[in-house]
Amino acid sequence: MTPLEYLVVGLVLAGVFFSFVAVVGIIRLPDLYTRAHATSKSDTLGTVLSLGGIALLFGAEVSAVKTVLLLLFMLITNPTAAHAIARAAHDQGIEPWTTSDEEGD
Amino acid sequence: MPDTSSRILVPVGESSTFRNTVAYAVREARRIAAETGEESTVHFVYPVRWQLVDESERSAADAVADTLERARVWANDDLDYDDDGDLDAEDVSVSIETAVVGEDRYLFSPNDFAEVLLEYARDRGLDRIVLDPEYQPGGSAPMLQPLEFELARSGLVVEEAPVDRVVERGRLPSRANVSKALAMFGVSFGFYLLLAGVFDTFNLVTGAISAGVVTAVFARISFVNTPSVTGTVARIARFLLYVPYLLWEIVKANFSVAYIILHPDLPIDPEMQRYRAAIWGDLSVTTLANSITLTPGTLTVDMDRDSLIIHSLTGSARDGLAGGALERAVRFVFYGRSAARIPTPAERGTIASWTDDDQTDGDE
Repeated sequence: MTPLEYLVVGLVLAGVFFSFVAVVGIIRLPDLYTRAHATSKSDTLGTVLSLGGIALLFGAEVSAVKTVLLLLFMLITNPTAAHAIARAAHDQGIEPWTTSDEEGD
Repeated sequence: MPDTSSRILVPVGESSTFRNTVAYAVREARRIAAETGEESTVHFVYPVRWQLVDESERSAADAVADTLERARVWANDDLDYDDDGDLDAEDVSVSIETAVVGEDRYLFSPNDFAEVLLEYARDRGLDRIVLDPEYQPGGSAPMLQPLEFELARSGLVVEEAPVDRVVERGRLPSRANVSKALAMFGVSFGFYLLLAGVFDTFNLVTGAISAGVVTAVFARISFVNTPSVTGTVARIARFLLYVPYLLWEIVKANFSVAYIILHPDLPIDPEMQRYRAAIWGDLSVTTLANSITLTPGTLTVDMDRDSLIIHSLTGSARDGLAGGALERAVRFVFYGRSAARIPTPAERGTIASWTDDDQTDGDE
């Protein structure tokens, strides 16, 4: 394997790790708002790292440029989508979970 | 008598109902002048905001002068006709004044705008304020409601121009211009060719057609202000400095969130906060809101009038937000280096925990 391939594998593995964290977060966290943290942050970085690896693999090609564009759009749209979901919940009057809720359980 | 007051102040700025608001104010002034026989006066006042302090945006001053000039031309136009659209023979005594206020100050909050407007009104003895319902002095951040509230506290008569029953002969102001069209065309054409990847005749022709259609439809929607080359280049350059900083923050955010999520005890302490950021304008607020969402333990939930509602995952995330590093960075990108020196949100007291009581306050 060339050093470039190591780098690509490293990036994709890191991407997989953060995507995994996002999934664990969705399962473990207590309510919609906290889950949105997991999806907006970990998922974004996971996708961006994987796409970055793919772009490196493409090398100096148009496909690489397109992958980088895709990556940029992920960076812009992912938090926007998380915001849209959280805002919808907020409009519906869903109360955020707090540590005092835990004591009530 | 407030309703028949003939001394009218109209704060102006670019908006889709600007033309109609001018028509309404002038019609009111004429009506009162005709009823009372006194001379009416309408003052069109442009409160300039932070853009003018930015050295790279001197041309904004021309835009302001242009807007005021347009208001004056329209108003004089309207004075030549009566309500039926017929030429009015009788000499109406309505005087039109225009002014720029707030040049010497840094206008940010609705408070600031209300203050300079009221000061002007007091100086000139104006006692009625007609607001454009689409008036957005702070870029496009929702500001009309708080501004109206602040103005009404002074005891002057404040009303929104009922622009749906407007004069039909007035065309909506066409805000499209050459530089907006060029910028739009350039961006869409460039993007098309980038995706095509090949510069042959077919792509150049279809790209030009597509970009033309996009420009025709979106040029006046995509740009609120006329893009200036120097301002845009400086902004993009500063944005490129911002990106690595943001990426670093995102990476840090992810490690802290990953730590929290994978920690057996799930050490979280979520809370909602209201955060009045010192940032106005569509693009800059969107940038700030998205950056907040991407960085440690904070998530933008809603935009409530003039403030962001932010959900934070942990106490340390709240401290980070109150430190205002992101806000400074976004101010640096959009307003330049001097604007980045600002007290932190915690020092300004513009950040507080959010409760249901906040939902109703200020709505009286």
